[in-house]
Amino acid sequence: MRLLLAEDDPGLAERLKGFLDKQGFAVDAVDNGVDAEFNALEIPYDVIVLDLGLPQRPGLEVLANWRRAQMQAPVLILTARDTWQEKVEGLQRGADDYLTKPFREEELLARLQALVRRSTGTVGETLAMHGWVLDEATQSVSRDDQQWQLTGTEFRLLRYFMLHPGRILSRASLTEHVYEEDADRDSNVIEVYVRRLREKLGKDIITTRRGQGYVFGQLK
Amino acid sequence: MTSLRSRLGLGLITSLLVMLALLWATVGYSVHLLMENQLASRLEHDAETLLGGITIAADGTYLLDSHRLQGIYLQPYSGHYYQIDVNGHISRSRSLWDESLPPQQLAIGETRQAFLDGPQQQPLLVWSRAYKKQDHKVIISVAEDMLAIQEGLWRFQWQLLAWGLAVVALLLLLQHYIVVRSLRPVSAAAADIARLEQGEITELREQVPDEVSPLVRAINMLLQRQQMRLQRSREALGNLAHSLKTPLTVLLQLAAEKIPDSDRAAHAQLQDYSRQIDQLMGASLRRARLAGDGLGASRFDLQQDLPVLLDTLSRLHRDRTIHVEQELGNTRLLPLEQQDGMELLGNLLDNAWKWAHTTIRLTIIAGRKTDIVVEDDGAGIEADELDRILQRGGRQDETVAGHGIGLSVVRGMAEELGGSVEIGRSENLGGLRITVSLPMSHSHTGSDSVPAK
Repeated sequence: MRLLLAEDDPGLAERLKGFLDKQGFAVDAVDNGVDAEFNALEIPYDVIVLDLGLPQRPGLEVLANWRRAQMQAPVLILTARDTWQEKVEGLQRGADDYLTKPFREEELLARLQALVRRSTGTVGETLAMHGWVLDEATQSVSRDDQQWQLTGTEFRLLRYFMLHPGRILSRASLTEHVYEEDADRDSNVIEVYVRRLREKLGKDIITTRRGQGYVFGQLK
Repeated sequence: MTSLRSRLGLGLITSLLVMLALLWATVGYSVHLLMENQLASRLEHDAETLLGGITIAADGTYLLDSHRLQGIYLQPYSGHYYQIDVNGHISRSRSLWDESLPPQQLAIGETRQAFLDGPQQQPLLVWSRAYKKQDHKVIISVAEDMLAIQEGLWRFQWQLLAWGLAVVALLLLLQHYIVVRSLRPVSAAAADIARLEQGEITELREQVPDEVSPLVRAINMLLQRQQMRLQRSREALGNLAHSLKTPLTVLLQLAAEKIPDSDRAAHAQLQDYSRQIDQLMGASLRRARLAGDGLGASRFDLQQDLPVLLDTLSRLHRDRTIHVEQELGNTRLLPLEQQDGMELLGNLLDNAWKWAHTTIRLTIIAGRKTDIVVEDDGAGIEADELDRILQRGGRQDETVAGHGIGLSVVRGMAEELGGSVEIGRSENLGGLRITVSLPMSHSHTGSDSVPAK
């Protein structure tokens, strides 16, 4: 899950990036409104965390510009401004959720997961597909009574597959959504991780479409 | 007396009445004088006729040629009398019957005119003159009853008064019309002020007469400044919240991290204090943001603002489908500034949303005070929980974040706005029923006294 974090406080941004990385998000952090607006229009983020009090360009303006440019990613506003007037303004400008500071990291995580599931049309609290259940808290996958621990990248990849079942996902797009911007991004590495997932989940769960990419489960 | 109309009316009625009284007295006096002179001139004429008819003998006796006498002097108490005195020999008109006119002591050529009571209390004008005829001093007094003339004069004066009063009444009506017409723009401004107090408009129209235009402009400027100040202070508070709450977030998260046992006590303290700072700051900022009963502030509009708020709430709680029943009556504007209303209703409805199973009912009852009633079909609340839930930050259920905090905000706001909060069980829906009673703002009750156009 590729996530844009637009937060100008370096302390909080660093903490959040660390936390969200651990939770399997590929986090790009920006500390001003102009960069935030540019990044989200260039990169297909799965979810965005937006502070309203950003320098250079206010968060609400950035949000309005995104929506005007048909930027579809779900946006969670994370702000100290906690009046209902501000919540109403934020949501009316196109935000999908609103969380006020101070907040608990777990609450932010829960809301982000809900946003991602909603945006991919996934129903339910847990990700379950073809008998496989992905536990986002422990970053493990289970079937019947058996459980397999996943590495960080395996988890990210599997989660992205499970959120987009039956769709052809190119190696480039998988790379886009699994790695953050400044990561070492060799799309061949994706092949390695797909192979590892097949070893754990079985060969047939991920099929290769030559020249196109991979499909999780049956092609829709 | 502060009404311009009353002042102008009183001024006009006073000056008109003074003028009428002067006119009445002057005209009455002049007419009276004129008639008296007229009468005196006639009496003089009669006296000279009488004088012409007198023939004085050598012994001093005299004769009056009766042919020269008008019949009126022969008829008893006819109101026309004469008395002739030649060297102490007095003769009287037959009309005097047994009465006499008082004798006059006059030098030759001297004239006297007097009002006297004559026979049968007739008010007489007596005109007397001493003549010299055939070397004898002849004093002739001629008198006439003034009653008929006086009555006529009085009638005239009453008529004059009646017409005068009628004209005064007409002028007053005319002036009333002119004043009302001239003050119409002022009444329009007064009506504007009433609408301003109701929150229907945010500034006064400036198309008013020159005399009141500086006042209206000054009011508008004050209103603008007040709004700007409110906006600036809200922005400053937002910035303050931003700059304080972000580090506070980090503090709280640090305090929540897993740490070795030895540091646990200090950690717990850090957590407690951070929470306290957060809650105190939240409460103070909310109180400072309240606009309260400011004139010229736009009010919470149930037709415009409520749908937006409900839309926001349903987006924030996307996972829960809640039906909101609305019973708003004829109320359109709440006696709350727009953002205050957003905050109050936002907290009330958000709380209900968290607890409702399927339905929330919002009822507005407007009267001497405005009741905002929010009911839900959730689990409701036990009596002993009621107090705790309203305590600042007290939570009824930790798993539903924010419950209790929202209601304590509602209570704080209601108190700050001079209202009250009542919590009970909803008879209709079975869950919680929260009633916020808000007083009509003082400007509202004052609007009754604004004169109608």
